[in-house]
Amino acid sequence: MRTNIILTIFRKEILEVLRDKRMLYLIILLPFFLYPVLFTVIGKVGADQQGKLATQKVDVLLNPEAEKTPVYELLKQDTTLSISLMAFDRATIDTLKNTIGIQVSPDYAEKIAAKGSAPITIFVDESQDVLARRQGIIMAQLQALNQQIINARLQEAQLDASIMQPLLIQSENLASEEQIMGKVMAGFLPMLILLFIFVGCVYIAIDITAGEKERRTLQTLYSTTASKSEIIAGKFLAVASVGVLSAAMNILSLLVAMQIQIRMMGAEVNTLSFSIDTAGWLWLCLLTLLSTVFLGALSLAVVLLANSYKEAQSYVSPMMMLVLVPAMISGMPGMELNSSTAMVPLLNIALAMGSIVKGSVEPMLMLVVAGMALVYAVFALWLASRSFGNESVITGEKIDWKQLFRS
Amino acid sequence: MTTLIEAKQLTKDFGELRAAENISFQVGAGEIVGLLGPNGAGKTTTLRMLAGLLTPTAGEAFIAGHSMSSDQRAARRELGFLTGDMDLYRRLKPVELLTYFGKLYETPKAELDRRIQSLVHDFGIDSFADRHCEKLSTGQKQRVSIARTLVHDPAVVILDEPTTGLDIMASEFILRFIQRIAREDKKAVVFSTHNLAEVERLCDRIVVIHQGKLVFSGPAAELLAQTGKATLHDAFFKLVQ
Repeated sequence: MRTNIILTIFRKEILEVLRDKRMLYLIILLPFFLYPVLFTVIGKVGADQQGKLATQKVDVLLNPEAEKTPVYELLKQDTTLSISLMAFDRATIDTLKNTIGIQVSPDYAEKIAAKGSAPITIFVDESQDVLARRQGIIMAQLQALNQQIINARLQEAQLDASIMQPLLIQSENLASEEQIMGKVMAGFLPMLILLFIFVGCVYIAIDITAGEKERRTLQTLYSTTASKSEIIAGKFLAVASVGVLSAAMNILSLLVAMQIQIRMMGAEVNTLSFSIDTAGWLWLCLLTLLSTVFLGALSLAVVLLANSYKEAQSYVSPMMMLVLVPAMISGMPGMELNSSTAMVPLLNIALAMGSIVKGSVEPMLMLVVAGMALVYAVFALWLASRSFGNESVITGEKIDWKQLFRS
Repeated sequence: MTTLIEAKQLTKDFGELRAAENISFQVGAGEIVGLLGPNGAGKTTTLRMLAGLLTPTAGEAFIAGHSMSSDQRAARRELGFLTGDMDLYRRLKPVELLTYFGKLYETPKAELDRRIQSLVHDFGIDSFADRHCEKLSTGQKQRVSIARTLVHDPAVVILDEPTTGLDIMASEFILRFIQRIAREDKKAVVFSTHNLAEVERLCDRIVVIHQGKLVFSGPAAELLAQTGKATLHDAFFKLVQ
């Protein structure tokens, strides 16, 4: 293979990508602005909504008998509740919007005085966020009142409060903030990286294979002195470079978004609540590179089966599922990198990336993952070279998958 | 006359289908040969085997004395290939496209620059050299395509239905180009077409392929004599019906 020919093809493909505004938008601009905009907008909207929910007035219907109970006094203090004393039933509440009904036992005073239990029933439509939230607050207030009554009864009986709490259970989280954040990040970061590597690879792969077939320019290329292996190497380099660029832009964008979040939350700037050490970064780069090789070659092999740009686009969704499913499985509870999962394509990469983010890198397992990823990448490259070497690419006939595996 | 194209018993099977069978003919320097045949006769398959795009099931193709199977790079170095439905790279400018293909043929830089300058001038590409190929008219694209075919100065030019879908002006441009490269530059030219008027006007010899087999190879006058017909049109129909 001649390096100058490979580089000539590579440079031409990259030049065409750089001149394609749609591709630039998809690979650079969208990923770069996606997370900061998304995080900021979601954060702002979320904060606004939370504030709105906290201050929004809610109607509370209280049965008239409750007027002389501490429950009424307690609820009156909450300025976000508009309390009306009136008789009602469950059906009434069901027809009213933005209303909670509270039925206090008519013989509340007698039952409390007799050291019995006075039932209080809350009717609420929990599907409404504001009502569900307010119900939680009311419940907490009533629990506090309940505790007050218990304390008074214990005092009257000259008993210590600990009699009601034989076990004093405490839980101490040994995980550092970094580890907790790492666990959260491990749940979605590998999926995002893999997804955007794939998106970066597949659209340029479609343009430079199926698109070229459709425009018949691939024939021109095949009629030159460039060999098929040089053509595929040049095109593959371009696809992989765009894939790596896309992944890099995503990671960069994510870090910028996190800085913005930290700034918005008032934390110290330039400190992330999770960190990856040098070895972790090296492993992450290696795995990103290997998954780009795999996904780039796979994209080339698959989209070359299509005879048109449109047909190739119809292959994107199934391929995306192929990427997303293992990545999503990696985020499931209990899923971890071991000698078995290290063999499964893409799942191994996602789990390994997750381990790096969580700060629990096991070099032996990482080597197994890297080795397996290399094997899969080589297989995908071989498949892509078989696709390129197939005469159906020239004749425009459908390439049969089985043909690719025949000698 | 030096033989520059040689098809030697070219045969191609696609599964059960035999698309071409024992096709043999030669084309010398400065000669124009027209490849005729109904749709599906095997013309494109034959041209693609000559261009090294398809591997023959049997037989061999030679370009300027180089075997397309055992010395492919040298054979392709002497070959310019163009089809009528071939598009250009949309986001490259004409000169970038010519440079790209020149580099693929490993043409030395100084020679490539000189050659591109000459082609740009000869084909009137200067006036639209700054535009991306996707912005060019059909006629302009055709000029760039031809320049691309010649950028490495091949001894052989193979054209598959080069005038299909073109208007009369663009077709005329192509026909003059074929005439010029054969008569002035002494290149060997093979082109397939359905237009018998083009064949009568340009070709020194005709090769007729029918149902994958070569049914005639020789000058047009010989075909008329062989079939006893007065026109090429009638002779062709007698041959393939």
